[in-house]
Amino acid sequence: MVQINFALKEVNCKVVFYGPGMSGKTTNLEIVHQKAPDENKGELTSISTDGDRTLFFDFMPLDLGNVAGMRTKFQLYTVPGQVYYNSTRKLVLQGVDGIIFVADSDPDKMDENVESYANLIENLAEYGKDIRELPHVIQYNKRDLPNALPVAEIDKIMNKFGVPTFEAVAYTGEGVFPTLKTLAAMVLESIEKIDGRNPRKAAPTSTPATEAAPVAAHASASPRAVAAKPAGAVGRAPRRTRGARPAAATAAGAKGAPRRRRAGAPPAGGARRGARPANAGRRAVAVTASKKGGIGLVVGLTVMLLVAAAGVAYFFLGNPPF
Amino acid sequence: MVDPNQMSRNQRLRHDRLTFYKEDIDRIDKLLAEFLRLSGAKCALLIDKDGHLVTKRGELRTVDIDTISALVAGSFAATKEMARLLGEEEFTAMFHQGQRDNIQLSLVGDRTLLTILFDDRTTVGMVRLYAGETAKKLADIYSDAINREPTAGSELNEEYGTDAKKTLDKLFD
Repeated sequence: MVQINFALKEVNCKVVFYGPGMSGKTTNLEIVHQKAPDENKGELTSISTDGDRTLFFDFMPLDLGNVAGMRTKFQLYTVPGQVYYNSTRKLVLQGVDGIIFVADSDPDKMDENVESYANLIENLAEYGKDIRELPHVIQYNKRDLPNALPVAEIDKIMNKFGVPTFEAVAYTGEGVFPTLKTLAAMVLESIEKIDGRNPRKAAPTSTPATEAAPVAAHASASPRAVAAKPAGAVGRAPRRTRGARPAAATAAGAKGAPRRRRAGAPPAGGARRGARPANAGRRAVAVTASKKGGIGLVVGLTVMLLVAAAGVAYFFLGNPPF
Repeated sequence: MVDPNQMSRNQRLRHDRLTFYKEDIDRIDKLLAEFLRLSGAKCALLIDKDGHLVTKRGELRTVDIDTISALVAGSFAATKEMARLLGEEEFTAMFHQGQRDNIQLSLVGDRTLLTILFDDRTTVGMVRLYAGETAKKLADIYSDAINREPTAGSELNEEYGTDAKKTLDKLFD
């Protein structure tokens, strides 16, 4: 998700190059790294196998510089394309703000393209995100292949949601920057849309008037969070679960709660709420114990009295009374 | 923490988005500085789970903090997957030992990672002890931040969108 840091005066966005294995995701990133001005780029870091296949991700920070007083940065990631690396691919998608899907123009790779796109939709859904709400573009790479499928045909197969598409020959650099530029603009526009001061992008009318002002001041909100409530609501539920539900979870005796508390995760309020049942239990045990103690005392005193009475009777009467 | 279903719209936006305001970061910086003093660690970075730096205190030789942040977040995400496979929700702390420098990671709240760099001037025990306390205090600061109104004047400039387009044109054309 977009991070807006008013202390550092920074806006940070996360962009992921997605697509099937060998479609050219890493090549795209390498070209961006080669061609971006030195002052705008950071190191290109790859976590790859010996055979240079992406194992976890490739990463490169791209600094746009000062945008209206905020230093705006993109963190560019690629994912491993091979089917069996899905768990790591999914991890890289966490908090993604925009996606460039790199498709292979080879007719024999269409099934892989389709499968990878379906996998993207599925992985995003696990984070509660709907691809239709997320800025994304499709790049048709390897247009220099002699048997490259015509764009109109790939479009029919791949572009189900009518997003911007680009032709590219990534290893020559062709089409790489236009793709990234369009996606970057879409991501930044998604930040701008948040601003409730803009009438065309205002908050839903159902929002109480009294709350409109704070929302307007809240440039960090996502248009997805505002406009696409069903997706947003579903999507963020798991995240909120971690943050806000420990109280309920603890109350229900969930295992995770004590661990969270050690990590300092739940707020004080949550911890207090969570502790209630345990305290109540301890109090109940204490009450029972004191009742038992009282009964024991009474019985003990009675027995002592009887023994004492018997002793007195024996002493004075010369024979035991019973 | 307020139940998300009970949040006002404003609270919900703060909760859903990662926005950090100056006064919150000032409090966090103060806490991190105190942590470094007590633990003897060299540097403390607060990084969000998406791999973006939130704030840092102390000395750090490398200048590429963006990459460090991305790798820390990636590393943590990978261990989370391992935890899931083992039936845990997530591991809340990680430790990397080097010949000279070490890194201790602690989950703070549900969205940020406290990353501590330290060398042989202190011990892992000291760092863990104070990191645990600091993580709790940081969680309290987050809780306060979520529940109060945003700072007046802390908003993106109206020109942000237009300016962003110009910047992109300049960089990519």
